[in-house]
Amino acid sequence: MDIPYTVTARPDTGLYNAKVGIWLFLASEVMLFGGLFSSYIFLRVGADYHWPVHELDVRLGFVNTLVLIFSSVTVLLAWANLKLRNIGKFKLYMLLTVLCAMTFMVIKSFEYRAKFSHYAVKLTDGTFLTGHLPHGYEIKFGEATQLSFTVQSETAAIDADPDGYVLPFIQGDTPKFKTESGNEIILDKSTFKDLRSASLEAAKAAGKNSGSFKLVAASPLTFQAKPSQILGYTATTMTFRDGTVAQGKLLDDKMTLEVDGVDTRSVPDAEKSIAWGTQYLGDGWKKAFITNRDHAKKEFEEKYPTRDPQKSATHQKEAFYLKIKSSTPPSGEEHGDGHKAEAKAEGHGDDHSAHGHHPEVVLDKKDIAFYSNYTPKLNTYYAIYFTLTGLHGLHVVAGALVLTYFLLFDGKMLRNDPERLANRVEVGGLFWHFVDLVWIFLFPLLYLL
Amino acid sequence: MADSTEEIHKAIKRIKLIGWVLAVFTVITVGLSYVELPTHTMNIVVGMIVAAFKAALVALIFMHLNHESPLIYKILAFTTAFALALFVLFVFSASDPLVFDSFYESNK
Repeated sequence: MDIPYTVTARPDTGLYNAKVGIWLFLASEVMLFGGLFSSYIFLRVGADYHWPVHELDVRLGFVNTLVLIFSSVTVLLAWANLKLRNIGKFKLYMLLTVLCAMTFMVIKSFEYRAKFSHYAVKLTDGTFLTGHLPHGYEIKFGEATQLSFTVQSETAAIDADPDGYVLPFIQGDTPKFKTESGNEIILDKSTFKDLRSASLEAAKAAGKNSGSFKLVAASPLTFQAKPSQILGYTATTMTFRDGTVAQGKLLDDKMTLEVDGVDTRSVPDAEKSIAWGTQYLGDGWKKAFITNRDHAKKEFEEKYPTRDPQKSATHQKEAFYLKIKSSTPPSGEEHGDGHKAEAKAEGHGDDHSAHGHHPEVVLDKKDIAFYSNYTPKLNTYYAIYFTLTGLHGLHVVAGALVLTYFLLFDGKMLRNDPERLANRVEVGGLFWHFVDLVWIFLFPLLYLL
Repeated sequence: MADSTEEIHKAIKRIKLIGWVLAVFTVITVGLSYVELPTHTMNIVVGMIVAAFKAALVALIFMHLNHESPLIYKILAFTTAFALALFVLFVFSASDPLVFDSFYESNK
């Protein structure tokens, strides 16, 4: 059956059907993104932290904006050339549009990747240290000689499963264990199954629902795991996510951070921040911070004598968010311009080549209130950033797929009914412009303002 | 939209021109965001005005809403009304209808 009104207008609407369809769809899209922009306003109005301004890499956002504008032009030129039956040019412009979509996504993926490897650590006094974790962050637990398992007869949230939750974190060779009855075993799925059923039988005989047993390691074990991979730890125990407890000694739970920024905007007295402690960044960087802050304050007062510096988001950022781009603090002679240049450096942390040019500090767990990479976990800004740009990115991919289809697989229609294909391209183009239109708002809201 | 060859050639010229205008206004948006206006809210307002202008160009020229069928205007009128309603929802977060005004102050 032929779909009616694909080329000519339907008398009552005055439009070909696909056009009414795409506009109804775009109306629903406006509501979808409208809801998310509304969330953005809610989150921003209610934010209890300094909303990031110029924190993302403006250059990349700017290039991506131009790429999308260019692609909006090329998709229209493709349509116009198809109308004129310049098939070669139609194909060329359509190809350019698809290439623009790919460029946009490649740039976006670089931006995302940089965020995943960049961390912010909130210290207990509210200072944020930003930077990279050169060795990751793992808890080391050693001299472990005994493992205690708890098994449940019925399905339970926490039930011993060493194969999935304990064994992967043991360092070195496959360990041997002694059971309570004195047998030497290698712990794996089948040996654990036997131990488990024996323990449950004993529990059943005693009228209990859960059983427990211990294994003693033939030689002391060392565990290494990310905090998210275990349930918790103390100085003498490590509890795995299946409830299994290891007895031993905590070797290392310190976090090594290559610091590329110190954000003291939420600290009542920035000069007293934990970050300037001798075990962390020390006096040299504290002096650099004070010089930079005073310079920014002086500059602001000279430029805007009547304004309140407390109310200027950019001034607060320049004065109280020190960007670090070298491994040692600047020497005393460089006062002034050197520090200014440092404070104004953009795209902190996104520059991977900067590795090794930052001071390394080893943070005590007691000083860490919270830490996260630059993902939705960090704050509501990154939550809405990833939601909005992620959804927009999906639209770019979907649009590119449709346009690629017109370019590669609509040859028969191009030969037999080019006017119908032109209408298809027009409808695809309308969607593509909508994607551009959303980005026109996303770019300033997320990157600039 | 344009159907005669002449009209399409005109449209091509217009499309290219608007493309350049959009690029220039992108540069302006970035530049303005670095200008220290009296309050940051003013930066946001100015930025959004420029963005709205760019969006209007895309909608009117690229999506040819400057001469479209009345049916589409009707669809979009509803959409705009509901979308605007979404944007003012945050006003409700300014007060808590469940407690009297001085509730929090009495805790101070």
